[in-house]
Amino acid sequence: MPKRRQEADSSRRNFLKGAGLVGAAAAVAPPVAAGAMPAAPLSKAKAALPGPRQIAAETMPPASDPVNQTSSGGDYMVDVIKTLDIDYMAINCASSYRGLHEAVVNHGGNTKPEIITCVHEDIAVHISQGYAKMAGKPIAMACHGVVGLQHATMAMYNAWCDRVPVIVFGGNIMEADKRAPGAEWLHAGVDIGQLVREFTKWDDQPASLQHFGESMVRAYKIATTPPMGPVFLALDGELQENPIRDRGSLRIPKYEPVIPPVGDSAAIVEAAKMLVAAKNPLIVCDRVARTPAGMKNLVEFAEALQCPVIDNYGRMNFPSRHPLNQSFRRALIGQADVILAIEMNDLWGTLTHFRDRIDRTSHPATKPGAKIITLGMRDLYLKSNYQDFGRWQDVDLDIAGDGEASLPELTEAVRRLTDPAQKAAFDERGKKLATAHQAMVERSKVDATIGWDASPITTARMCAEVYNQIKDEDWSVVGTAIRLSWMHRLWDIKKPYQWNGGSGGAGVGYNLPASIGAALANKKHGRFTVAFGGDGDFMFNPGALWTAAHHEIPILYIVHNNRAYHQEYMYLTAMAARHGRGVDRMDIGTTLKDPNIDYATIARGMGAHGEGPITDPNDLAAALKRAIAVVKAGGPAVIDVVTDPR
Amino acid sequence: MHKFKGVAVATVAAVVLGLGAQSARAQDAPQGDAANGKRIFLKEACFTCHGRVGQGGAYNGPAPILAHTGLPFDAFKGQVRNPINDMPAYSSAVLSDKDIADIYVFVHGLPGPSSPKNFPILNN
Repeated sequence: MPKRRQEADSSRRNFLKGAGLVGAAAAVAPPVAAGAMPAAPLSKAKAALPGPRQIAAETMPPASDPVNQTSSGGDYMVDVIKTLDIDYMAINCASSYRGLHEAVVNHGGNTKPEIITCVHEDIAVHISQGYAKMAGKPIAMACHGVVGLQHATMAMYNAWCDRVPVIVFGGNIMEADKRAPGAEWLHAGVDIGQLVREFTKWDDQPASLQHFGESMVRAYKIATTPPMGPVFLALDGELQENPIRDRGSLRIPKYEPVIPPVGDSAAIVEAAKMLVAAKNPLIVCDRVARTPAGMKNLVEFAEALQCPVIDNYGRMNFPSRHPLNQSFRRALIGQADVILAIEMNDLWGTLTHFRDRIDRTSHPATKPGAKIITLGMRDLYLKSNYQDFGRWQDVDLDIAGDGEASLPELTEAVRRLTDPAQKAAFDERGKKLATAHQAMVERSKVDATIGWDASPITTARMCAEVYNQIKDEDWSVVGTAIRLSWMHRLWDIKKPYQWNGGSGGAGVGYNLPASIGAALANKKHGRFTVAFGGDGDFMFNPGALWTAAHHEIPILYIVHNNRAYHQEYMYLTAMAARHGRGVDRMDIGTTLKDPNIDYATIARGMGAHGEGPITDPNDLAAALKRAIAVVKAGGPAVIDVVTDPR
Repeated sequence: MHKFKGVAVATVAAVVLGLGAQSARAQDAPQGDAANGKRIFLKEACFTCHGRVGQGGAYNGPAPILAHTGLPFDAFKGQVRNPINDMPAYSSAVLSDKDIADIYVFVHGLPGPSSPKNFPILNN
């Protein structure tokens, strides 16, 4: 990636800022005539006679303008950032925010925020996304103007779709007369926030330091107010780098978080009445839990009704082995007479049967007359271009309110409205659901036995082996591959930090860096972080492993290596079958073989521990033990497991 | 989010497709070549959704377990030719009747599920 610092930097602006070095470093600094060719090739510079640059440098009088400064705008920026308790700033370094970068390290002491060095902006944003979901608060990310931000965009879109707060800074040089020739023009824009405006909650380009202070606090507040999302601030280079004229006049605005709104009381009571009166109520949910209280609140509510819960797993909403967890019994949607949908991302998709055939058709999965209640914040902030809001779903009662915050009042209303006879009926319903849940668990175990010793290794065996090795740790599973659900079928996932959802936007390349971000958040708690991820996803951002090694972020990363972009392989096969031709050729362009990729070697090249490729399931346990020892010692480890597709 | 929806319906679909009814297998199951069936199963991408050992998987929705299937052959063939869900329809231009019969014999001969009691790590 081109960087401003890599270009021949001949601007007067930079000459003047570097002028303090003239006396000491004149032999290497090109203060004048920077565009001139050197007198001799650089390889011979030590032996060559002084060239015109050096002669000029040694004979010119000292510059009269200032060459040192005792403060910088970046210092104030850091002072503001520190008030927001931002632990880290994930970056790929770039000259357009060098003022802020230097201030974070020297003025801020490289703590709160501490720099997390990343080798790609996509990695830096995804690390921020994974961190925020696990820590419950955002970190910052900084990128180069224009080109760095262009790299960051897909990850920002994932964060947007996932409703996760990420604070993104992008360097920019606003004043045209201050831009050096070359890269600084290529990396500047009138309105670089335009690039990401359709998938950020808010953005600004502060024109003064006080403006930055207010916009920074505002950005943080907007990002962390449900529905949460990424925000963007363009930071002018001059503003970052130049001295502060009057620090005493600069105020750091006070941050006070928004209290998430509870749904309207009358509407809550109405919903409770409908649910209590229902014969077959059902809860469907996706991103309810934004704090550890979320799961607790949902459990209490479901238990008050003895109501089944179908979880779309956008967050750690509900324990996997709770008797009311019926997530793998979607047929309940067709039996429910009242459905409460809480913080749903794709309600229509959840309540609809859709057919991906020549004629694309759909019909409701719900039974006729079923009442649908929604509770959530997501639809209170939407944009137009990108269609992540999904298809329109008719509902009967639409309650605007934060799901997690509203559940206690809803629970109380249910309890208040439930008479003894209804309570007895609820208990009876709960017993039946518990029986069904247990049958579902047993069914999963039975299914997992098929192909137990097969090679490539079944995904069920892979997940069972990993769980067997980590189950006694204080573990946290933070990533999965497409349609890999065995953890939720087989594992006892019950603590608020034991799951944190998926990418949000299904943008490939999320899983490895976001899992490392979650591991970074887990590190200070001493939790054992484990993640699964596909091989295709891995190859988008393998450099994230270097960040994990460099910053000693412990994580066990299992590569679910089916040697394909497998979902696409299946889609392409369907196309060929539809056309009655060439089904056996659909590995072209969809598989990752010839040669096979050696993920363990890649991991070792990044400074991580690497195991594999593991093709014999009976080798998994030993490889896991070795890798776990590395992780417990504080480092990242990768195990390449050659698996069957799904 | 459809991520787990497909798998979730797998059990239901398995029942619909008769996977739990081994005894319901038709007596008129064809004679077939299991080795050729395996070759076709892997070559024509059946494995991509159903797994190389017929353990099942997921496409847009569930891809049912086929190992030791109890599905009658006619139903099996009907699903291949004119599926009831998003499964691709395999016409005779892609799979002949004999190919389907061979695949059927192959998947029926695959070992089905076992008791998890024999696999201690499944009981954590």
